[in-house]
Amino acid sequence: MVMDTAASSVPPQKLAGTGNITLHLHGHQAVFSELSYCYPLKLLSPRIAERAVAIAYVLSYGGGLVGGDRINLRTDVGSGARLLLLTQGSTKIFKQRVGLRASSVHPASADGERTIQVIDAAISADALLLLLPDPVTCFSDAFYNQKQTFRLEIGASIVLLDWITAGRVSRGEEWDFSRYCSINEVWVGDKRVARDAQLLEKQTQQSGSKFVPLRSLKDRLGHYSCYATLLLYGPLVVPTITTLAQRYASVQVYQQNVPPDFVWSLASLENGCVVRLAGKETELVKFWLRDSLKGLESVVGIDALRNAFV
Amino acid sequence: MDESTQSYILLLLADGNLPTGSFVASSGLESYVKHGFFTNSSSSSSTATAAQTNKAIVDFIQDSLGTYARSALPFVSDAHIAMSRHNSMTSGLEESLHRDSEASTLQQIKDLDFLYESMTLNEVTRRASKAQGVALLTLFSKGFSSPLMPHASPNTELSMSASLEHFVDHYKLIVRREEAPGHLPICWGILTATLGLSLDRSQHLHLFLHARSLLSAAIRLNILGPYAAQQVLLHVVRDVVAQHHNSCKDLRSGLSPGVRRQDGEEADDFDGPATTWPLGEILAARHDLQHSRIFNS
Repeated sequence: MVMDTAASSVPPQKLAGTGNITLHLHGHQAVFSELSYCYPLKLLSPRIAERAVAIAYVLSYGGGLVGGDRINLRTDVGSGARLLLLTQGSTKIFKQRVGLRASSVHPASADGERTIQVIDAAISADALLLLLPDPVTCFSDAFYNQKQTFRLEIGASIVLLDWITAGRVSRGEEWDFSRYCSINEVWVGDKRVARDAQLLEKQTQQSGSKFVPLRSLKDRLGHYSCYATLLLYGPLVVPTITTLAQRYASVQVYQQNVPPDFVWSLASLENGCVVRLAGKETELVKFWLRDSLKGLESVVGIDALRNAFV
Repeated sequence: MDESTQSYILLLLADGNLPTGSFVASSGLESYVKHGFFTNSSSSSSTATAAQTNKAIVDFIQDSLGTYARSALPFVSDAHIAMSRHNSMTSGLEESLHRDSEASTLQQIKDLDFLYESMTLNEVTRRASKAQGVALLTLFSKGFSSPLMPHASPNTELSMSASLEHFVDHYKLIVRREEAPGHLPICWGILTATLGLSLDRSQHLHLFLHARSLLSAAIRLNILGPYAAQQVLLHVVRDVVAQHHNSCKDLRSGLSPGVRRQDGEEADDFDGPATTWPLGEILAARHDLQHSRIFNS
């Protein structure tokens, strides 16, 4: 692991939670020319045999993020290289620190309650980034903002998965967090091809109406306990996109009496697609993903892909 | 523009018979029903059943309007503001300066239109939004421009600036040539600003029309009677519309250069347009998979 030594002169709070991953192709080997990180972020890279492929695990100490944590990860995937970004177990977002609330006079201390994760990834031509984390699990009262930006050169490819579960359902916490906001933006050259912005927020506004009580997150989302967005783009994943699109086109919906346990949709983009999934159980969604993304084995190898969706 | 003129424009725009294409859109309601989400418990009492049905449609309106307001209203606002600014800048300017201003307004509107396109990640919704958008521009140039009269043209409070009228025609042409998508929220902002309707009224009416078209769709789908729909519209929808109008009226698309914080993050990134109902997204996208369907979306 290479620590950024120049960083020690910068105030530590500015560096907290930052990380840098730079992957390049040397001959047939994918080599990390940089893999640095600061608490509470941790990056691990297991050795794998597959040519041109590397895996990096994005971890946090304690297996989750608390209010005030700020992750800022920059990733650069060089031409020809293939990078899998994975996590180990779902990313838990713990509740806001209540103590700070009363004293939140300054905007800075208001920020202290929030958890923010920012990922900025640059992908070169002929390179591939697979971002296949475990789902985010927001605990009761958690406040989470996430922005992921993917800057692709023409000819670059990505698969990005962004998913969330209802929470610690075993503890009776079901869609009970304060806020989850996730923005995924994909640029190809200087064109924004997709901006997916999703906001799940507890409503607090007083309506004062006897007819229309506010809809809680659970009212709105509660039929399912896991929602996922999957975006595929670029030449290396065309076979997977084609297979998915054909499968989707063959679906026929007749009148149903009860909602399905699992449901998905697909929308085509030029050179890509956006898939959305919802399942009564997280396992249903995971099973679908594992099965549907099998085709990526031919791009990154069976052994590498086996590490996703475990 | 005075209050009575504003009210008069509202009367025209609220007309359910305006050819805006909303008649063929159910905004995902048909698919929602088809997938078994629109349930009314099998109660023996018909009063209880009617109450369940009303609750089911109000739930759908709340969730649908919630996600629509949060994702589309910022675009209505930005388009309206860009057009109003264009109007105030060009009034009293020379012809040559008009063109500069028009080019810059055109670019702003196109940027908004393309951003909305990139955020609408669902072919069915995109299609419905574009069809209704271009219908509004056509409605304007054919139905709301000044009529021909044997003598001098009518001089009322309503007479619009020639430069705005020209802009709408021009944008319609651009959309027809497929140089811009022509999405509904942007075209609504353009149309209402050109007619002189205030931003607040434009936002409010837009949300009201969305809710009302859901009720019309419910009637055509035979899940709600026409009288029941009127009851809901009068007694319930008003609050729902006011709620979402209030919470979204100050949101902007974020396209106008935001304040960059020290860390380089756009300050308003997380306060911009967003969808709020992932289930609605999935079901709306699955509209075309239905074996038989009566709506286009």
